[in-house]
Amino acid sequence: MQDYKTEHPFDITLSEEQQMTWDMLKKFAETEMRPNARATEAAGRPEPELLEKMKGLDLISLAIPEAYGGMEIAQDATSQALALEALAYGDLSLAMSLSLPMLTAKIITEHGSEEQKEALLKQYSAGSIFHVGLGLNNSNVMGDPLHSGILINESEDDLILNGTMTGVAFAGEATSFLISATSDSGESNLYVLDKDTEGLEIVSKEFMGLKGLPLSELQLANCKIKTSQKLGGHNYSINFQELLDSSRIGMSAMALGVCQAVLDYVVPYTNERVAFDEPISNRQSVAFMVADMAIETEALRLMVYKAAALKDLGADFHKQASLTYKFAAHHGMKIGTDGVQLLGGHGFTHEHPVELWYRNLRAIGIFEGGAGV
Amino acid sequence: MIHPLLPDQLQKTQETMRMAAEFILRPISRKYDKAEHEPPVEMEQLNQAAAAQAAEKDSGMGDDSIKSMDLKGRNLWAVISLEQMCWGDVGLFLARPGTGLGNAAIMAVGNPDQKTKWGKRWASMAITEPAAGSDSKNIATTAVLDGDEWIINGEKIYVTDGDRCDCVVVWATLNKAMGKTAIRSFLVEKGTPGFSVARLEKKLGIRASDTATLIFDNCRIPRENLLGGKEEVEMDADAAKKSFGGAMQTFDNTRPMVAGMAIGLGQAALDMTRALLAEEGYEDNFGASMGQQTAIQYELEMLDAELEAARLLVYKSAWMMDNKMPNSKEASMGKAKAGRIGNKISLKCVEICSMQGFSEDHLLEKFSRDSKILDIFEGTQQIQQLIVARQVLNKSSAELK
Repeated sequence: MQDYKTEHPFDITLSEEQQMTWDMLKKFAETEMRPNARATEAAGRPEPELLEKMKGLDLISLAIPEAYGGMEIAQDATSQALALEALAYGDLSLAMSLSLPMLTAKIITEHGSEEQKEALLKQYSAGSIFHVGLGLNNSNVMGDPLHSGILINESEDDLILNGTMTGVAFAGEATSFLISATSDSGESNLYVLDKDTEGLEIVSKEFMGLKGLPLSELQLANCKIKTSQKLGGHNYSINFQELLDSSRIGMSAMALGVCQAVLDYVVPYTNERVAFDEPISNRQSVAFMVADMAIETEALRLMVYKAAALKDLGADFHKQASLTYKFAAHHGMKIGTDGVQLLGGHGFTHEHPVELWYRNLRAIGIFEGGAGV
Repeated sequence: MIHPLLPDQLQKTQETMRMAAEFILRPISRKYDKAEHEPPVEMEQLNQAAAAQAAEKDSGMGDDSIKSMDLKGRNLWAVISLEQMCWGDVGLFLARPGTGLGNAAIMAVGNPDQKTKWGKRWASMAITEPAAGSDSKNIATTAVLDGDEWIINGEKIYVTDGDRCDCVVVWATLNKAMGKTAIRSFLVEKGTPGFSVARLEKKLGIRASDTATLIFDNCRIPRENLLGGKEEVEMDADAAKKSFGGAMQTFDNTRPMVAGMAIGLGQAALDMTRALLAEEGYEDNFGASMGQQTAIQYELEMLDAELEAARLLVYKSAWMMDNKMPNSKEASMGKAKAGRIGNKISLKCVEICSMQGFSEDHLLEKFSRDSKILDIFEGTQQIQQLIVARQVLNKSSAELK
């Protein structure tokens, strides 16, 4: 009935190392990220000082090989999911300022050709984190996530790219982009595109959430690139489904962090808020919403753990990643909306973070490739 | 290590149990749904098969421990086993001769002598009364010590296996005015004078299992039949709280089990739905976008996700028991989620399969009737929410009623 094999017993205990990292990142999220969430949103990007502190966590260089200046400490998927959850507990936009370069560096490390690694990875250890913009989000409504909104045509030694990618973070700082594109045969791959490519236009966009990240749309009109600009080289073929599944576990882990933030916020609020002479949490209509929030958050945590554990085991994790992402999108949105509801009119204003979480949680289930494990 | 996965050995248990469910329970599912109140004699086969395997020291279904509820730290194993049995048929599983919820109570609160004496008897559990359901502190059945005997008086309803069992664990009060602190449980043997079965309920589902009304009319039982707890009501508030807590502890142990039943049933409904859909060319399309999925693909993926989430909550609560971690909150989380999802899935599957789902040609309609009780007994959905809410919000039962 199961399609995996393991001798190890059922377990949900964090290893000592995971616990230490978790404690450190959670504290950072609470003391450095959360208090700056509003300011980051207002500025549309992380303040430079905060960004330096975030870089100081050294999360990006973990996956990068020593040869390219990294630490080469490849983390397992469960550890990465824990790290993403802890960061998102602080603020989703800020967390994604790290998770996006983390994912980008990881993809280049795992799939890039020697030449591409040489050209793109070394800059990470030099302190640059936004030099490669990652574009995996389609802009069409009826899209299939496996099919890129950018179509590719081969013309002798060149590839011609046409179409639109959206939700590309920090495009203004990027010197190149790593974007998905689909060929006539329906195969999707990633391509490295220089910022100055003729026919590429970068248009800044505003979205309802993730406002602490500068997001843009890339419009490609007859952009000509060389076949060697395919990630991994001309003959390389990426498992696009697996890439998507990994990123969906990552996004679900971040949803978990935000859901936990909502829960931890509404518990003291409903306990302290008095109406009709007693705390509103003394009433079942309020208390049961909180109970359900706790139940679904815990369930999401176990879903994320299981999907990541399957990946670590080397088993097929497509179904589990799909279910987890669907669960995260559905219950994340429910928890977001209940968070606002529990605070009533107060929740609708900027005086409390629940409306921010409401907007950010709506990104889960929509935003592909914002984080990965 | 974060590894919420089943080791090969437990997967083997799953397969063995699934085979038993498929080949022993499923073929007689409809028969005993129709023939309500008729003991399913074929279930003896299951016990015989179990005994045969026990002789071979197989760790699969042959293990006797699930029968006696003496799990010795193997609650996850038990949950997985009964999940598969209930994939076959919840009603029949509950009607399996030999095991009742009373056995869980004996194992949870009984002293060593009581466990030895009654552990392997078939014990049902009698708590609910016509005027006391979820608020068990309002129990009106009385127990009065008279010399070396307790005299039990009262009426109990909705006792699962109440007719076919060997003995009953009866909840009664030593002094109604003292509320929950005065509640104790007692073991009453079948055939004790003054103890009679008054009627059997006709029900929406789980018809293979009997649900009885029991009458205790000056029923005298030995003094040592008091299960755990003291013979007098504690005046000290802390001691009293502890005493009732002890009785309620039974539920921390049984809720993961009942939740496991709902998981098995939910999986059965999904499997049967997919089998019917496959005949008409249906295929899953996990992870696709809304624009790419049909309504049925979308619904089934969502239901799969919900069921998997519930399953992991339940496994976690059982794993915590095995590791001696307090699991009251987690047991209720799992029961709340599994109870509502088992019901939702089975009703949705009837809808998806349309007239075939609604028809008695298939078992989907039966699953949807059986599932409802799993969101009611061993604590209703709302009682589970209440327990979770009190713990999450750190509230007393006086604050959050």
